[in-house]
Amino acid sequence: MKRFRTLLAAAVAALAIPAAAHHSYSMFDMNKTIVLDAEVVRFKWQNPHAFIEADVTSPAGTERWAIEMTSPNNLAQEGWKRTSLRPGDRVRIWVHPLRSGARGGSYAGVRLPDGSTLGDVS
Amino acid sequence: MKRVFGIALAGSLLAAPALAQLGTATQSPPPPGVEEGKGAAHPKGQYAALDALPDWGGIWFVIPNPPGSGAAAQPRLKGDYLARREAWLAEVRSRDGVVRRNRSNCSPPGMPRIMRLAQYPYEFIFAPGRVTINQEAWMQTRTIWTDGRLHEEDPDPSFMGDSVGHWEGDTLVVVTKGISDELEIDSGWPHSDQFVLTERIHLDPNDPDVLINEMRMEDPEALAEPFQVTTRYRRDRYGKLLEFQCSENDRNPVNEEGETEYL
Repeated sequence: MKRFRTLLAAAVAALAIPAAAHHSYSMFDMNKTIVLDAEVVRFKWQNPHAFIEADVTSPAGTERWAIEMTSPNNLAQEGWKRTSLRPGDRVRIWVHPLRSGARGGSYAGVRLPDGSTLGDVS
Repeated sequence: MKRVFGIALAGSLLAAPALAQLGTATQSPPPPGVEEGKGAAHPKGQYAALDALPDWGGIWFVIPNPPGSGAAAQPRLKGDYLARREAWLAEVRSRDGVVRRNRSNCSPPGMPRIMRLAQYPYEFIFAPGRVTINQEAWMQTRTIWTDGRLHEEDPDPSFMGDSVGHWEGDTLVVVTKGISDELEIDSGWPHSDQFVLTERIHLDPNDPDVLINEMRMEDPEALAEPFQVTTRYRRDRYGKLLEFQCSENDRNPVNEEGETEYL
């Protein structure tokens, strides 16, 4: 089931990829989705891409992740606002990771501190 | 002493010949096809006529092709252009799908790609003798002249090209030439400096909140046959374009290897 879900998510994500965006999406592994429990450091509401910087803490220490999103005018259609995230918010973020293995990725969905979700969190 | 300073100032102006051009307006003649006193440069008295044009108010987002609609139509290249396409494909395959770039991601895609971006909406502004398309992407502005002027004989190659249009009823018909041959039809699809785009833009008769752009691309050097593709846009009546300052958010520099980096 989990595999099916991953595949399904990948298929949906592939359809959602813009044909020609600010840059190619080929640096991200759009077939893979990872889940991060993170604390928001910065949320930038801006073109060409909004983005989230967040700290992910594990027993091994804290990692700073940079997560790129689509344009604010696209995110607004999904319910996003400039004030949707604030520094210090504890969130769960679904991300298509960078192929390079660096701590970054393309946003898929988020669960906000109040439990509501935006985007694709399957 | 003050007078001496004045002489020094005059001297510095003389020493900077480029500055002598500052503040001097060019004096352009009317473009071929437009009479003196007419056209887009003389809007006064022409505004009331704009009310006869169709309702394209609001902003417009590209509608993605629905799932299951099959593979998108592809241009049919020929000759050197086909060889360039194949070389490009082979390289992308060899790099595990990663596309090499030769310029900054802050450089816009230009025509015709910029009319087909999924992420950034558009608005259409009617004025006498011209239609202006503001594009959220890279905050670009495209002008379509509708005042009867002819195409420039030898336009400077540019990102937007030289667009001349006219209204056929409620359809805006636009021909664009002079698009730089350093740009592409789509990613990895090159064209020559003979590339010509014809657009027929009109509201969907079945849904007034959908705008249809029937695009036909011709290129005697690069295309074996005309390439036709239809782009649809959905209206957000009260939406507005947002700022796009690429340099403020340039998280994706291109390195010497042509790879997009990620900060």
